[in-house]
Amino acid sequence: MEAAAPPQGMRGRPLNLPDISIIGVVDGHLTDDRSDAYRDRLEFREVELALQGFIYPQMRADVFLALHKHEDEYDAEICEAKAGFLRLAEGLSAEVGKIHVNFGKLNKMHTHHRPMIDQPQALTGFFGDHGLIGQGGTASYLFPLPFYLQAEGGVWRAPAHHHHAEGAAEVADLSGNTVNAAVYEESEEFSMSGELFTGRLKASFAPTAKSELEIGTSLAAGHGSHYTHHKDKAMVSAVDLTFRVWPSSYAKWTLQNEWLHLSRKVPPGNLERDGFYSYLSYRFDKHLDLGGRFDYAEGAWPVRSFERSFSAIAGYHLTETSAVRLQYKVRGMDDKTVHEGWLQLAFGLGPHSHELE
Amino acid sequence: MKRTSRLAALFCLLFPAAAWAKLRVAATTTDLEWLTEAVGGESVEVESLSTGDQDIHFVEPRPSMVMRLKRADVLVRTGLDLDMWADSLVAAARNGKVVYGAPGYVDASVGIELLQIPVGKVDAAMGDIHVFGNPHYWLDPANAAVITKNILDGLVRGDPKNEAAFTENRERFLAALDAKLKEWDLKAAGLKGLKLVTYHNSWVYFAKRFGVELFGNIEPKPGIPPSPSHLERLISMMKEDGVRVIMAETYYPVKGSKMVAEKTGAELVIVPSSVGGLPGIKGYFDVFDCVLNHLVDAVGVKGDAR
Repeated sequence: MEAAAPPQGMRGRPLNLPDISIIGVVDGHLTDDRSDAYRDRLEFREVELALQGFIYPQMRADVFLALHKHEDEYDAEICEAKAGFLRLAEGLSAEVGKIHVNFGKLNKMHTHHRPMIDQPQALTGFFGDHGLIGQGGTASYLFPLPFYLQAEGGVWRAPAHHHHAEGAAEVADLSGNTVNAAVYEESEEFSMSGELFTGRLKASFAPTAKSELEIGTSLAAGHGSHYTHHKDKAMVSAVDLTFRVWPSSYAKWTLQNEWLHLSRKVPPGNLERDGFYSYLSYRFDKHLDLGGRFDYAEGAWPVRSFERSFSAIAGYHLTETSAVRLQYKVRGMDDKTVHEGWLQLAFGLGPHSHELE
Repeated sequence: MKRTSRLAALFCLLFPAAAWAKLRVAATTTDLEWLTEAVGGESVEVESLSTGDQDIHFVEPRPSMVMRLKRADVLVRTGLDLDMWADSLVAAARNGKVVYGAPGYVDASVGIELLQIPVGKVDAAMGDIHVFGNPHYWLDPANAAVITKNILDGLVRGDPKNEAAFTENRERFLAALDAKLKEWDLKAAGLKGLKLVTYHNSWVYFAKRFGVELFGNIEPKPGIPPSPSHLERLISMMKEDGVRVIMAETYYPVKGSKMVAEKTGAELVIVPSSVGGLPGIKGYFDVFDCVLNHLVDAVGVKGDAR
């Protein structure tokens, strides 16, 4: 009897080869911020090599190796490398390895797969430039209900940052009392590190045949990346809401919102910080989409700071993995306003796939 | 007692599969949904993951579709990489009954005599080429015999006790199909040798069945939007060869086709390629009735179309 053609991810089986694909990203960045040493450049930012396939019935491996541009160097890293158990029990699956944590709507998506070039500041401010990535494991359960409801929990270890103490000083805590505390050089980036616990609950409904409403809530609890110095416990909670409408075969409206709240307990007191973004886009046809995003993000540091920005984003999609994007962003920070622009070409070779987002 | 009834009602609401013992089928297209209903009859509950007015190459997987696959006993798909979007849904549904190789996995293309199987190297320079061959096989209605055989086998694997009923339903369908094929052959007799331009390369099976000659496509290559230079070349070739009919599916952009029609004087016909592709196209046979009627009308309008 003739056999069915295998789906992607199982193609290489006769030769025992996985699906192999490459994503390349070329970025141009213009800004009037003269403090940005890497402004006004057009350069190859990232290349990602993906090796994907089944390793056993109901078990697959996805390895994404990346060469990223960091300042003036290209660094090689394992972007993600995970083994997935698709069905441990009815509705239950799990993944182990180095994984983009399923937190909110954007964190799990690889940057080239997102509908925008930069990352919303709320995610960068609370999770760092690369988002929340952990080494560990996660399990998710899809409830047997008439509507989509999935719960997920993960245990992770994320890398810490290194920096140096500059001595001790009398500083005012958040209540106005003077305390003696170590003063450390703050890096520009806050993120979570060490042992982390994450959870996500996501529900989705189809109000009509051509619309979808997704609501999610996420939690990450653990330590700040400077824990050894700051002894900071950190927790980020988030709510996301996405509404998509398909008025015709190709046209699509997307309204996507994420709100994140950081609670950071440091010896002088508790920091409570918020950040959110709201993204609205319209896809005109198979190729062209236009959108706008508003961001508000508070810094994760004791000194209260914030950033507001508005971005206009255009994308022209040649294929599912190849696109040209343009983005203009005006950023209002504490003491200055910065105008930035990006041009990005992302191209894909081979059968590249990501799980349902 | 009242409390027990309420609990039972709540259970049925939350777990609808328990409310009736029908075999639950998810189909990736409305055509496969319709054909599965024809074979399964009253014993199956079929849901399509897409709608008939969608470009089946370009369906966006959504969480609500996951639930249709999660509760399915059988998945019927077109295969041949046309509905690749279903792969992420199958993985997300975590339903062992419908994964590749499971008894509930039905690839409707198995056994189809495929056309345009690429030979040699295939890459994106050729456009959106399907490596296993042209996947629009359901547009030859005679292929429904093979499709329904695959569906029958899948339904029997899922519900062996209803094998006789499924087989009988399929026999009834094949008899109806046979009658329709004769009717369509008569209707299409005047279309033999008709030179036809289509938007996408999706009508090769249809053309072979009804003796239509495919002259070219509005798309320069599959999935690539038409460029002005391609359209100019196509217009010039159409004028030279006297091609007077252009056919496009309902979901494709009409601008390029309309421009070519205006410049060549050709008749532009917009047709459904699936059940539900236009209002009133409620069944698989309606698709061919509609397409053939449009073509016959177009040929009638442009009497020198062949």
